[in-house]
Amino acid sequence: MSVLLALGLFVQADDDLKKVLEHQQKLRAVCEQVRPTYVFFGNGSGVCISADGWVLTNFHVSGDRDNQQVRMPGGKKFMADVVGWDVHGDIALCKLREAKELPFLELGDSDKLAVGQPVIAMGNPFLLGNGSWEPTITYGIVSALHRYMDNPGYFDAIQTDAQINPGNSGGPLITLDGKVVGINGRIDIKRFKNRVNTGIGYAIPARQIQRYMKAFQAGGKVDEGFIDGITIGECGDTRYENVGQYGDGVFVAGVEEDSPAAKAGFENGDIIFEIEGYRVYNANRFHGVVSNWPQGERLRVKVRRKVEEKELKVFLGNPAKVRARELAASPVDLGFTPSADFDDLGVEVESVAKGGVAEAAGLKAGDVVKKVDDRRIKNWDELRGAVQARKPGDTLKFVVVRDGQEKELSLKLK
Amino acid sequence: MTLALALAFLCPQEESVSLARHLRTLREQVARSVVAIDVQRTADPDGQFSRGQFSEHADYYNRPKGPTSGVIYEADGLILTSYFNVSGEIRKEGIKVTLANGKEYVAELLGFDEQRDVALLKIAEKDLPVLPKADPNAVGQGTFVAVVGRSPDKAIPTINLGIVSAVNRMNKAAVQTDAEMNYGNAGGALVTMKGELVGVGCNVKPRNVWGQSGGIGFACKTAEIDKVLPRLKNREKIAAENRPYLGIQPGEGNPDVEGVQIAEVVSGSPADKAGIKKDDVIVEFGGKKITDFESLREQLGERKIGETVTVKVKRLKDKDKKEYDEKEFKVKLEGRPEP
Repeated sequence: MSVLLALGLFVQADDDLKKVLEHQQKLRAVCEQVRPTYVFFGNGSGVCISADGWVLTNFHVSGDRDNQQVRMPGGKKFMADVVGWDVHGDIALCKLREAKELPFLELGDSDKLAVGQPVIAMGNPFLLGNGSWEPTITYGIVSALHRYMDNPGYFDAIQTDAQINPGNSGGPLITLDGKVVGINGRIDIKRFKNRVNTGIGYAIPARQIQRYMKAFQAGGKVDEGFIDGITIGECGDTRYENVGQYGDGVFVAGVEEDSPAAKAGFENGDIIFEIEGYRVYNANRFHGVVSNWPQGERLRVKVRRKVEEKELKVFLGNPAKVRARELAASPVDLGFTPSADFDDLGVEVESVAKGGVAEAAGLKAGDVVKKVDDRRIKNWDELRGAVQARKPGDTLKFVVVRDGQEKELSLKLK
Repeated sequence: MTLALALAFLCPQEESVSLARHLRTLREQVARSVVAIDVQRTADPDGQFSRGQFSEHADYYNRPKGPTSGVIYEADGLILTSYFNVSGEIRKEGIKVTLANGKEYVAELLGFDEQRDVALLKIAEKDLPVLPKADPNAVGQGTFVAVVGRSPDKAIPTINLGIVSAVNRMNKAAVQTDAEMNYGNAGGALVTMKGELVGVGCNVKPRNVWGQSGGIGFACKTAEIDKVLPRLKNREKIAAENRPYLGIQPGEGNPDVEGVQIAEVVSGSPADKAGIKKDDVIVEFGGKKITDFESLREQLGERKIGETVTVKVKRLKDKDKKEYDEKEFKVKLEGRPEP
């Protein structure tokens, strides 16, 4: 019996080691896979997400500057341009110049993360990897999901105890199947001025980043979504009547006339309990879900009104601003942004992009475009219509009004 | 009993349960070779930081009370620890080592390497249990490791789990781990899940607040220890300042030539005296090929002060044709000058 017992224990101990080593093998394989995709980005980190050199990092690491020197493991240098960025959400999408066939990681589904799931963080804490150009990898678990913090607005953050320190910012949080589920950003620290990890790090979830990706690639500053024209309160607020219980959602305390919220059909007293399939249980979660999309998107919002449930479709952000941005990012690049005022008297130029074709043609902010190729232009849609059929290399004749005088410019498409 | 056995055999075990149980076994196995170290310092301050306002302090670092850890490295009483654990002005017979069985010994500090942050102690004992050494090639990024220390209670070893975060830190002398390493378990053993020694915990020197590892710990690799072990046994005290110095500032690199492009030569330095100039590219050092600054530092670290080394450089001859002359210089290495 005792022999059998001893044998049993021995086998078990052996079995334990085997299981641990199996897990280790998985971990090492994923480390090998992800290491080459790391980007040494200034005093922080980044990760390559495409073979042609799209790189994600934190906005607080990259800023909006072009022409930054970055490196990849082993020390290979690249010049990075910041293409699109979200200041509050702290994400920037950059492009490495002359990059091809780079190792990269795919974005994973952060909605599928579970608390307790093992994850690794890759970064350059305290810039330890400078010189040897070997990133640091730390191991931990998902401690919590949907963490809300404002300023900077990490409204829907993944919390992890994988050790994240200054220098990790912008680096990826990775599941053991080698997918990027978040971009590590801020940390909670124990003492003022002693910026060392305490086992609390936050990452911006990959799903949020994916929803911003199109806007990032189009370029420029991307704003986090918000529902314009609505005042909300926490359900269960004792100062109000008929606002449910805490945890039910948020209630609509006010709707501004003619705002996107009013157009969507929100009414005072509505209880918002679901947005795009996500449960909204309090005000923080409401902001967390809404900011998962950039301005210009349309969200389906479920509200409880007296005894019935309704689904409303609401536009995020200020429509005029959003439209101006969309126009600026239209497929044929004219190199200027039109003003958001549409008065059918022509197209007023809001700003001219540096190095673009409009600048080369001599277009200036404040000019009003009246004619393109002798066609009268009332608004932006007509202007787009006039250039639609034209190809790169073609030259367009623009008639603009500047300081009350008509001027003719020729704009060569690239 | 049979039921428990049957369960152990039949139940599919969660990874974490296996891990927890394995760590208990591992702790027992490794802790036999991990010792506690007590150090009594004199009122005299500690080494290089003793000047100025801190000179009154008994110990500049204000180290916490309690023992630190060390690892039995050779069976006949040789114990390795972090040099930091035994630095400073120490009283006569001021270093005491306590083994796993509770026996206490007065230890002698044989030698140390300040740069690698390791020190060699000797106690009068034989047949001590020594840990097997891990194969360095098998310890890559993501390998599970545990640091085993014997502090604050000498009777109860501490085990902290982590992974290898990076394999080449501190001029390639150390691995980096996210296993929590603090003053106390620094000097202890960093081991693989099989109980093989990866290195000795080192470079834990927080200046302001103790007890915050931040998930960044280092262990001096056994291969690096073995490199200096004969010198340590020979009672050499290798201070950081006593490492050889060349006197160049590396530049951004030369796209045409692989090596270390020199941005600046410190005047009066060994490189200057030998005739090496700004914009030269060092391609060989003592017959060894130089690819980058790291490799140059590595080669420099292998040398002693006073040694003369042949340094091969490429010097621009014709800018337009991108032609280079190859030149050799004899450089007599010196210690780093006082700042």
